[in-house]
Amino acid sequence: MDIALQQLVNGLTVGAFYALIALGYTMVYGIIRLINFAHGDIYAAGAFLGLSLYALLALLHIQNPVLTTLLALVVSMGCTGLLGVLLYRIAYRPLLHARLSILISAIGGSLTLEYGLFLIYSPSFLVYPHLFGRAGPALGDLAISWLQVIIFVSSLLLMAALYVLVHRTKIGMAMRALAINQDAARLMGIDVNRVIASTFFLGSTLAAFAGVMTGLYYSQISFLMGFLVGLKAFTAAVLGGIGNIPGAVLGGFLLGILESLAAGYFSSRWKDVVAFVILIVILVARPRGLLGERVVERM
Amino acid sequence: MKALTTQPLPFHRLVPVAAVVLLAIGLPIFGTPYLIDVGTLVLVYIMLGLGLNIVVGYAGLLDLGYAAFFAIGAYTTGLLMVRYHVAFWLTLPAAGILTALSGIVIGTPTLRMRSDYLAIVTLGFGEIVRIAATNFTFTGGPEGVYGIPHATIGRLVLRSPQALYWLGMAFALVVLVGSYNLARSRLGRAWLAIREDEAAAQAAGIYPVYYKLLAYVLGAVFAGVAGSFFAVKLTAINPSSFTFIQSVTILMVIILGGMGSLPGVILGAAVIIILPEALRAFDRVRMLAFGVGLIVLMLLRPQGLWPSRIGQIVKRAVALSEARAAAEIAAGAPTPE
Amino acid sequence: MRRSLACLAMLALLVPAAALGVGAQGATVKIGVPVPLSGGNAKMGDDIAKAATLAAEEWNAKGGVLGRKIEIVSFDDACDAQQSVTAAHKLLDAGVAAVAGGYCSSAAIPASAVYHDAGVAFVADASSNPKLTDQGFENVFRVIGRDDQQGPYAAGFMIKTLKGKKIAIVHDNTAYAKGLADATKAAVEGAAGVQLVFFDAVTPGEKDFSAILTKVKSLKPDVTYYTGYYPEGGLIAKQFKELGVPGKFMAGDANNDPTFISEAGNASEGVFVTSTPLPQDQTTAKSFIDRYKKRWNQDPGPYSALEYDAVSVVLDAIKRSGSADRGTIVKAIAATKGYSGATGTINFDMKGDRKSVLYITYIIKGGKFVPYGM
Repeated sequence: MDIALQQLVNGLTVGAFYALIALGYTMVYGIIRLINFAHGDIYAAGAFLGLSLYALLALLHIQNPVLTTLLALVVSMGCTGLLGVLLYRIAYRPLLHARLSILISAIGGSLTLEYGLFLIYSPSFLVYPHLFGRAGPALGDLAISWLQVIIFVSSLLLMAALYVLVHRTKIGMAMRALAINQDAARLMGIDVNRVIASTFFLGSTLAAFAGVMTGLYYSQISFLMGFLVGLKAFTAAVLGGIGNIPGAVLGGFLLGILESLAAGYFSSRWKDVVAFVILIVILVARPRGLLGERVVERM
Repeated sequence: MKALTTQPLPFHRLVPVAAVVLLAIGLPIFGTPYLIDVGTLVLVYIMLGLGLNIVVGYAGLLDLGYAAFFAIGAYTTGLLMVRYHVAFWLTLPAAGILTALSGIVIGTPTLRMRSDYLAIVTLGFGEIVRIAATNFTFTGGPEGVYGIPHATIGRLVLRSPQALYWLGMAFALVVLVGSYNLARSRLGRAWLAIREDEAAAQAAGIYPVYYKLLAYVLGAVFAGVAGSFFAVKLTAINPSSFTFIQSVTILMVIILGGMGSLPGVILGAAVIIILPEALRAFDRVRMLAFGVGLIVLMLLRPQGLWPSRIGQIVKRAVALSEARAAAEIAAGAPTPE
Repeated sequence: MRRSLACLAMLALLVPAAALGVGAQGATVKIGVPVPLSGGNAKMGDDIAKAATLAAEEWNAKGGVLGRKIEIVSFDDACDAQQSVTAAHKLLDAGVAAVAGGYCSSAAIPASAVYHDAGVAFVADASSNPKLTDQGFENVFRVIGRDDQQGPYAAGFMIKTLKGKKIAIVHDNTAYAKGLADATKAAVEGAAGVQLVFFDAVTPGEKDFSAILTKVKSLKPDVTYYTGYYPEGGLIAKQFKELGVPGKFMAGDANNDPTFISEAGNASEGVFVTSTPLPQDQTTAKSFIDRYKKRWNQDPGPYSALEYDAVSVVLDAIKRSGSADRGTIVKAIAATKGYSGATGTINFDMKGDRKSVLYITYIIKGGKFVPYGM
């Protein structure tokens, strides 16, 4: 039983990262029907910016781990959000009506970000400061750290905040309107460009949060770190029903738990196969994902 | 390729075509082994691009796991030649049948899905094939299959870069002619109808799932043939050649070249392979330059380098309204219509 | 018009490619060094290329070889089968006399066939997968040991020195790691009274291995041996401690990098690493480290000394045979007798493998790799 509980904790931790990144995929997809291949690399950029912040604060002799972490998070999230907007402006905006060409532009953006980090920072792995120990709540044999608890809780809070923003604010309403019908939204006087840009900003901010947390929790970051996680997060977004915000969260946690159980009870070598087979089965049974709504087909 | 059309070509179109033909013939005669190897790689991507073009360009199905069929072809040839000493030419039908079957297996349950969900399912399929090839013992695990013999014609062993180039050229030409005829057949028109308006096509008596499956299977067979050639060219194959990145690279070939257009695929394959090689002089900045290059190319030519004519005629009507909408978005200000 | 422009653009692309392909046949002796310079292994490739350059510069300072200057020609193989074959052709085009380098076994194996067809010597510095030399190519050599030499050593250490009765092995499904894991597995299963309780792989590039480690924990092994590379190795060592997995943690020779320790932090204390002796623990390599640091202003990587020796073995063969002819070099390398390099004495056996490779075990103490039991 202990083992099963531990695997659940493992899965929820990985799932939190998937969910945070999946939100960026799902929001952008919901609005402009783009699989933003560069989103995983935005997450990596967030992690690197966070590391720069830690280095800068250390130079300024600001040592308090909580204070430095909050500063690193806020600044990295802000800068990465702007990076996302910049990417949209340069690489995506002129191609909004070329559905496949924009995909190649996204791949170009992904390579540019990856090898930009490669050149600016390092081709090798960089290590975050070991700020938080592995102390945690005493729960018998269960290994769980306070940092894990913080990651889990704060990502849930961020997701809830995003949900409120999309469903209770004016810009959120504009986003939803855009997702349903861009032309109609424009006719209603919505500044389409600004709304798309804010979507990129929000998605990138969440990715940056995940990036800094990755550095703190796993301690190791590299310029290619966004690739595999990005692929998984995209899968999670589709699993939950792409374009759907609670769907991305559900998909993220579900994928994390599935992988954890597959590795724990079957085989780690086959866990991705297990995850993809389940994904395919779910999509065959529910072609729009778990929480996906009916959307008009557009090519 | 354009020489196949019946109407005489205008001069400005003849010049580039003649240049490409001269280059393709001149390369193995005057080129160094390295250049010939790069040329052979371009041929491999032309085959792959033409196959994926049937799926994405003709039938309009987004496939993100196309490398799986490439892998199945390569492994079939590699394993049959190494383990069972089957001659290269006999492995080709085997590769064709196996890839066609896997195309049916993955296509049948999934082709009713919306195209974006299809994209992730094919992505999953691609990963499953790669991971399975890595985990199984009979496929050689992560080391893959090595020591694959060269192809032979009678006593002639196709070992030198020149011989491999000509073999690849023969394969690519067969695939090219096949593609060309498909596009102009009844089948090609059915795909076009489905791609442009599935509901209307269905109303006109075209059964979409059947035609989509056919496109999927044909595309898979093309990749399988390319894989067979890849196996004897490289003589050693391992799962790392068939990653998601590989699928994306093949997709880049056709989008960059111009969806649905045969000359576009050839041009796209050349750019995707030659651009990174030409950028080798930039050493550490190579991949960054490639990424920026992709964005710039797309911004300059969103429709691809050499877009398809058929697609354009159909799209012309739609284009007007879309262009207007795009202009509005770019201008950032809503204008009344 | 636009299409002819597009075609011209393509031609414009081809022209520089053609210009690049034509290497000037000068009076220099060229040594080819294929290494990963992009992708996840770029750091290793960089360390290897720097060591090759250092070797060439030192020989040049002494007058080169056969009165000719030595030139290092290095190309990116990205640790990829297809790109390594293209890079191999490019090196041959550049007119290299021999090739010394490479990193990933999965890239070295296909490239070795190209070198074999061209009759060019290929001395691998870091590719330890047995298949590389088992292909029976007379032109392929390596200065690093084979995975199936390290495997039995590691098994012996776990069973005899660490008194392990229950052993878990984790690899990462790369050609190198799987080769080492298989060899260790065979040796463990061949030993009496020892049980292999776990054998599975992680996915390179991931960061969370708690699921697989939780499973290992439930099996209560005495020793867990990880045979993959250090980026995942450091994380596994860290999570191993955090999850409280019982028993000792040991890692293979791709983990003898300082990054392993910085990643794992305190959790790296007491971790064992099987390896050939690191440069700093070899009297022969002391001066190599100093020279490398002086030239590049950084510490050598784990494979730098091996690459330095790979290049030196080739140059020594050219010097002995008095010829820079490709075929002669292959024969002369095979005839290498007791070449004294930075990593010790080098001799090759019939297959081209290095004879009598010594493995030792390090333990991490105070954030440093310390030879165990010495």
